[in-house]
Amino acid sequence: MEYILDVQNIHTFIGQYHILQGVDVRVPKGSIVALLGRNGAGKTTTLKSILGLTPPREGRVTYEGRDVQGMRSFDIAALGIGFVPEHRAIFRDLTVEENLKIAERVKGDYLRKRDFIYELFPDLKRLIALPGTSLSGGQQQMLAIARALVADNRLLLIDEPSEGLAPVIIEHMMSAIRQLSKESTVILVEQNFLVASQLAEYYVIIEEGRSVKSGAMKELVNDKAAIHRYLGAA
Amino acid sequence: MNTFLRKNLVLLITIAVLTGLFAAAAQGMEKKDFVITLLRGLSVGSLTFLVASGFSLIFGLLDVLNLAHGTLFMIGAYIGWTVFVRPDTFVDLLTPFALILCGFALRELYPLVSGAWLGSARIRRFLPWILILVSFLLLSYILPRYPVASWNVEDYGLSPISYAFNADQGNRLPSPVVTFDKIPPILAIGGLLLASLIGAFGLSLFGGEGQQKPRLTWKSFVGAGILLLVAVIGLVFNDGLTNFMLKLDSNWLFLLSILVATLSGAGLGALMESVLIRPLYSRPIYQLMLTLGMSAIGIEMVRSIWGRPEFVMPKPSFFDGTGEGCPATTFADWWSHHCSTILLLDGRVRVYNEIFIPLVGLVVLIAVWMLLQRTRLGMVIRAGVQDREMVEALGINVRRVFTMVFALGVGLAALGGILAAPSMGLSNAMGETLFLNALIALAIGGLTNYPGAALGSVLVGLIQQFIIKYGQIGIPIPFTDIIFKPTPPLVPASTVLLMVIILLILPNGLLGKKE
Repeated sequence: MEYILDVQNIHTFIGQYHILQGVDVRVPKGSIVALLGRNGAGKTTTLKSILGLTPPREGRVTYEGRDVQGMRSFDIAALGIGFVPEHRAIFRDLTVEENLKIAERVKGDYLRKRDFIYELFPDLKRLIALPGTSLSGGQQQMLAIARALVADNRLLLIDEPSEGLAPVIIEHMMSAIRQLSKESTVILVEQNFLVASQLAEYYVIIEEGRSVKSGAMKELVNDKAAIHRYLGAA
Repeated sequence: MNTFLRKNLVLLITIAVLTGLFAAAAQGMEKKDFVITLLRGLSVGSLTFLVASGFSLIFGLLDVLNLAHGTLFMIGAYIGWTVFVRPDTFVDLLTPFALILCGFALRELYPLVSGAWLGSARIRRFLPWILILVSFLLLSYILPRYPVASWNVEDYGLSPISYAFNADQGNRLPSPVVTFDKIPPILAIGGLLLASLIGAFGLSLFGGEGQQKPRLTWKSFVGAGILLLVAVIGLVFNDGLTNFMLKLDSNWLFLLSILVATLSGAGLGALMESVLIRPLYSRPIYQLMLTLGMSAIGIEMVRSIWGRPEFVMPKPSFFDGTGEGCPATTFADWWSHHCSTILLLDGRVRVYNEIFIPLVGLVVLIAVWMLLQRTRLGMVIRAGVQDREMVEALGINVRRVFTMVFALGVGLAALGGILAAPSMGLSNAMGETLFLNALIALAIGGLTNYPGAALGSVLVGLIQQFIIKYGQIGIPIPFTDIIFKPTPPLVPASTVLLMVIILLILPNGLLGKKE
C-alpha cells in the first residue's frame, strides 16, 4: 500500500509537558483515517505535530516520501497539507471571500477551485461578501473546510468537524467530507464515534499520548469491547 | 439596526458626550481661535497617529511592545535633517552604509554555505561570536578613519546648531573638504565589504537550525547588486552628487529627506526585527527589556552624533514665503506666494504645521488603510493579528510578514519624525512626548484597531490644544465669577484623564474589540 503520510513514534512537548509519548500514524493514499480517543488524549496535538505547529522532539514525520522533521510549519503546509482546526479559526476581520482567498498558494487558486467549493457547500455562495463574524457555527465549519480546499492540498487534517453542530448539518458535513475525500486524503479527529465510523476506513486510537490500537474501521465497529475500553462508548 | 444600537450603546453615548464637549468648547471661544486650535489639534493628532499606527500594527501582529518607537521617531527626524541641511554628509555616508548593508542583502546565501562545511557542534557554537567580533573590530578600525564631511558637536561654529541656524537664514555654511588621507580607499572599501559579509554571516548562524535551504535565484543577488551600485556611485561621483544636491531646490531636497528618513526607518525596523527581536518571540519580558534598552541606546547615540542642544530645521521654500502678499488670504493667493501663513477667518494659520501635516496624516491614513484592506499583504496582516498559527498553517511565511510590518511601523514613525522636525525643531526628547501621546491615543482608540489609532490620536491632539488655548482665555465657571485657566501641567494630565474615563466605560477603548 502507498502511504501519503507516515508518522513514526513522535514525542511532542508543550512547555514542560510531555504530551505525545510515542504516536504512530500511517495514512494510505486516498483514504480517510480517523484519530480516536478521549478528551485530552493528544489527537489535536498529533495533527499539530504533523504540521510542525507543535514540532515533535523525537520521531519522524514523512509526507509523500519526504522527511518534514524540523521544517518550518508554513513550509510543511506548502507541501500540500490543508488544516481545518478545532473551533474553525475563521478570520473575523476578513470577509468570507477573503477567508478563502488568503488560502491561495498560487495566484488564481481561488478562481480555479471556486466551483468545486460551491458544489460542496452551496450556502457559502450567498454569504461570500459577509464578514467572517456573521456566520453560524455550521457555516463557519463549511468555510473552514472550504478554506483548506482552495490550495492544491493532497492531505487534509480535519479536527472535530461535527463539534457543536445540529444533526442535519452534521449529515451535510459528512457527505461533503466523503465527496472531497475522492480528491484528497483525510485525517479526521472526531469525538463522535458514529460520525467517525461512518466516514473513515482506518482508525488510530490514541490514549494518554500513545497510539495504542489501529487498523480497519470495519473491524473496530464489531469490536464492542475495544470501543468500550478506549472510547467509553457503546 | 436595533441590535447594532444595543451593542454599541455605550460607544454611541460616549461619542455623543465627546461631541457635546467639543461643541461647548467651540462656543467658548472666537471663531478664529477655534479654527486655529482645531487645526493645531489635528496637526498634533497626525503626528501622534504616525507613531501610534505603526506601534499598533506591530503590537497587533507581532505581540511586541516596541518601546523604542518614540526614539525611532526622533531618529527619523535627525536623519531627515542631515539630508536636508547637510547633503554633503549624506552623500559621503552613502558608500559606507551601502557596503555595510551589502552583507545582509546576501542572507539567502549563508544557509547554503553553513550547511556545506560547518559540521561540528563546537564550531557552530563559537563561530558566530568570533565572526561578529572580527567584523566589529574591522568596522571600528575603518569607520573612524573613513572620510565623511561632518559637523563638530564640540565646536559651536561648526555644530549642527550653527548649520541649522544658517540654513534657516538661507545661507549654507561651506562644507569641509575631506579626503582619504587616513586610510587608502581600496582598504576602506574592501574592509567594509568584508566586515559586512563576515558580520551578516555570523548573525545568520544564530538560531539557524531547521531552516529550509532557500533556492538561490537571480533575485537573491538583486539587493546586493543595487547596494554595490549605490556604493560605487557614491564614491566615484561624490563631488558631482554633493554639488547637485546642494543646488537642488529646497522642496525637492525636502521630499528627498522625507524619503530617506522613511526608508532608513523602515530599514532600521527590518534590521531590528530580524536580528534582535526574532530570537525573543517566546520571551515577552526580554522583548520589553530589549526595546527599552534600544530606546536608551538610540537616544545616547543621537546625543553623541548630533549633540544634546536643540536646533531647528528650515522649512522648504514651498511653505516659507514672507513679504509681499503674505499672509495669504485665499488658497489661490497662497499658491502664488507660498506664504508661511494664511488667514482663515481672520486667524493666522501656519500652512506647514497646521495644514500640510494634517494632510499628510490623512494621506497616510488612507494609504495604509488601502494597504490593509485591498492587498494580499494587508489581508495576511489582518488575519495574522487574530490568529497567527492558522495563517502559518495555510502555508504563509508569517515571519517574513513580521519583518515587513516592523519595517512599515518604524518607517511610519520615522516619517512622523521628519515631518515634525520643521515644526517642532529637533531635540533628544521629541520622541518621548509623542510616544506617550501615542500610547494614550491607542488606549483610547483600542490597542490593535487601526481606525481606533486614528480616532484616539485626533482626540488626544484636540484635547491638548484646546486645553492650551483655554489656558490663555480661561473658562468661566457657570453661576460664579471665577474664570478657570488650565495651567500647562494640565495639558498632559487632561489626556490621561480622558483615557481613564474612557477605559472605565469601555475597557477595550472606543473601537477595540472585546477579547
